Amino acid sequence: MIYNTFTVEKGVTVAIALGGEKMEAIKNNRLVKKIGLNRILLVIVLLVMYGAFVIIKPSFLGYSRIMNALNYVYFLGFLSLGVTFVIATGGIDFSIGPVMFCCSLVSGYSLMSYGVPMAVALIISVLVGMAFGIFNGYLVAYWDVPPFIVSMASMNIAKGLASVFTKTQSVSWPQADADGGWFRNLVKIGEIPVGLFIFLGAAVICAIILNKTKIGRYILCLGSNSEAVRLSGVNVKKWRMLAYVICGTLVGIGAIFFVSAYTTVQPGYGDQYNNEAIAGCVMGGTSMAGGLASISGTVIGVLIIALLQEGILALGLNKNYQLIITGIIVIVAVYFDVLGRRRRN
Amino acid sequence: MGEVILTMKGIDKSFPGVHALDHVDLEVRRGEVHALMGENGAGKSTLMKVLTGIYTKDSGTITYEGREVEFHNAKEAQDAGVVIVHQELNMLNHLTVAQNIFIGREFKKGFGIDDKKMNAEAAKLFQKLNIDIDPAETMGNLTVGKQQMCEIAKAISHEAKVIIFDEPSAALTESEIDELFKIINDLRKQQLGIVYISHRMDEIKVITDRVTVMRDGTYVGTLITKDCTKNDIINMMVGRVIYEDPKTQSSVPKDAPVVLKVEHLNAGRMVRDVSFELRKGEILGFSGLMGAGRTETARAIFGADPKESGDIYVNGKKVIINSPQDAVKCGIGYLSEDRKRYGIAVQKTLAENTTLASLDEYSHGLFVDKKAENEVAQKYVDSLATKTPGVDQLVVNLSGGNQQKVVIAKWLTRNSDILIFDEPTRGIDVGAKNEIYKLMNRLASEGKSIIMISSEMVEILRMSDRIIVMCEGKVTGELGIEEATQETIMNMATREIG
Repeated sequence: MIYNTFTVEKGVTVAIALGGEKMEAIKNNRLVKKIGLNRILLVIVLLVMYGAFVIIKPSFLGYSRIMNALNYVYFLGFLSLGVTFVIATGGIDFSIGPVMFCCSLVSGYSLMSYGVPMAVALIISVLVGMAFGIFNGYLVAYWDVPPFIVSMASMNIAKGLASVFTKTQSVSWPQADADGGWFRNLVKIGEIPVGLFIFLGAAVICAIILNKTKIGRYILCLGSNSEAVRLSGVNVKKWRMLAYVICGTLVGIGAIFFVSAYTTVQPGYGDQYNNEAIAGCVMGGTSMAGGLASISGTVIGVLIIALLQEGILALGLNKNYQLIITGIIVIVAVYFDVLGRRRRN
Repeated sequence: MGEVILTMKGIDKSFPGVHALDHVDLEVRRGEVHALMGENGAGKSTLMKVLTGIYTKDSGTITYEGREVEFHNAKEAQDAGVVIVHQELNMLNHLTVAQNIFIGREFKKGFGIDDKKMNAEAAKLFQKLNIDIDPAETMGNLTVGKQQMCEIAKAISHEAKVIIFDEPSAALTESEIDELFKIINDLRKQQLGIVYISHRMDEIKVITDRVTVMRDGTYVGTLITKDCTKNDIINMMVGRVIYEDPKTQSSVPKDAPVVLKVEHLNAGRMVRDVSFELRKGEILGFSGLMGAGRTETARAIFGADPKESGDIYVNGKKVIINSPQDAVKCGIGYLSEDRKRYGIAVQKTLAENTTLASLDEYSHGLFVDKKAENEVAQKYVDSLATKTPGVDQLVVNLSGGNQQKVVIAKWLTRNSDILIFDEPTRGIDVGAKNEIYKLMNRLASEGKSIIMISSEMVEILRMSDRIIVMCEGKVTGELGIEEATQETIMNMATREIG
């Protein structure tokens, strides 16, 4: 067995066990080049995982399992899309999970205790996320505070703020047949997974922003070499901050999908989703060093994480195993990224 | 000259796309100072990095003290007695002199560090070298010259048998250079083998016994210094490359309008009361030693670093420049000496780098006009003769000279009329160098105005219409190209300010 490490489109490195020549041939295939070997491999991983779960537990084939997994995909997907923009700048955001909780708690509490209309509550959720994005982005871009510190701090702020606002009570959102229950139509109408279409639509918009607009161009360039971009006369601070604002906004939207699927939110949690969202993102080929990002990769990465969590539940394993596995995924994905960069330099 | 201590034979080293060393030979004897010469990019540093284990050679042999060796890292080389004194000093400014010299192998007393013993040992070293430095002094308080002496003392303390000096005089004043030469002479008497890398022809004649010349990564030949003339060495260095004719007089008319005027600019310790004028179509050379404040001046003008005071006029109009954004709006472009850090986004494509300073013009609303972008990138690939497989090539895959062209294209795309070239040919191979020269001359003749900062005297004399010399943050002289010689410039560059 020969272990091959190789670099494909967008500089993503993947290592698998295969014969050398065969690998070369696959690498040079035109279709493979176009889609990106890394993404093809990710899809294979996804299918193999699904297959394995089905073999171990045939009931996994069922529709309800898939719907369950999709519930996880929606909110995690928005976090992962958001953090992709931040990581593309070479930054990091460890506050996304708790901020998402904060969004759904503040908006849910306003809805249930202060009686604001549902539509307003949803807008509040998005605005709270955006506010955290502005806060994080401003500190990182204009005050030069390291993103790691900023997001660690705002993680605690988000938790504390949510607890204070809700007086440390959990918040339950209305059921489908209750007043304002229409928001659940965002996730599914009957058995149609509307949420999936919304999520994929959002991913397409994100991909366009990242690859076709000035915003994405500047974010990726400053992730690659911030000083060079500044010395080209670009307002680096503005664009860096914008990445965090986009991230916060997507987190605010993700919060809506979270409560649509899980109804009840408890203050003081949310940390574990940081890791899972970041895992989905880096697995998809976004470089922790900044400058390289792939939205389609992030989408597939999120699918894998969601499948994993559903699979672990279905197998009756403790949820803690999922924490261990996502932890390992992050390390392995980042290690390959580091390897790839070392080869390129 | 004694017996041979070090032989490098048939050393070959390739990097992706570059054959950096092509079967190079070098022989060093005990008790000799051996000059290693060649233009930028000739492969001198690469050869020394192969010797000290920083790079692994592809083929060839290194024989040291009669045994074939291969060092795997700088530490192994150091332990064996092969030590480099780097051009950039690797000193920790907040530690004392003695602590710096013995870093990583401190004398211990119990769990603590025995500063007393280190100071005593350092004092012994200095005595051996006849240097007057207090070992307990904080490193940051010493002048660059003294810091270099410490670096030499550190090398000696490793029981060095071969010392490599990499452009040691680049940052030194004349009196400091004299002191350096005294030390090198002492080391020669102690039968050390010394490799001396420098661009300064005069020094080579004074201090070295033999000269090995490299060109384009190949070995050209070795001469006995006292038997050859400056011209012999220059011819070997330059070889087939035909350079642009040096300017003998300014090509700028006397009444050309002043496009940039800087008055009483102050920015930190390195920019003190700098004033000058730049005329349309002029190439204004900025000369001086390393650390004279030229780059700092350029960065302050460009708004990359904050300034304390001073006025800047562009085309006669006073402008406020607080950031690179402001400078770019005024039509100023800055090409940094360190392209990889300040000039290009290496993981991005040639086209993306080309429009980096003018993306607004190449987008409709928020959307980038990819087609227009590719067209303008292609236009400059053609007109600057950039060698690339295509405009969507990642810049990291281009050679230094072609990367420099991408940076030039970036500013031309932006329509910048004032271009600041900071060490425009650093790290660029010899052939591409002349292309950059031609390009700069062409830009000037097309009406662009150029400030060229260069540490290479030959480059300054070859390209400039007028020369400004700086020393320790101040402008110490201004010369028309007609009156400028290496000597007059050196005098101004080392004028010590009281």
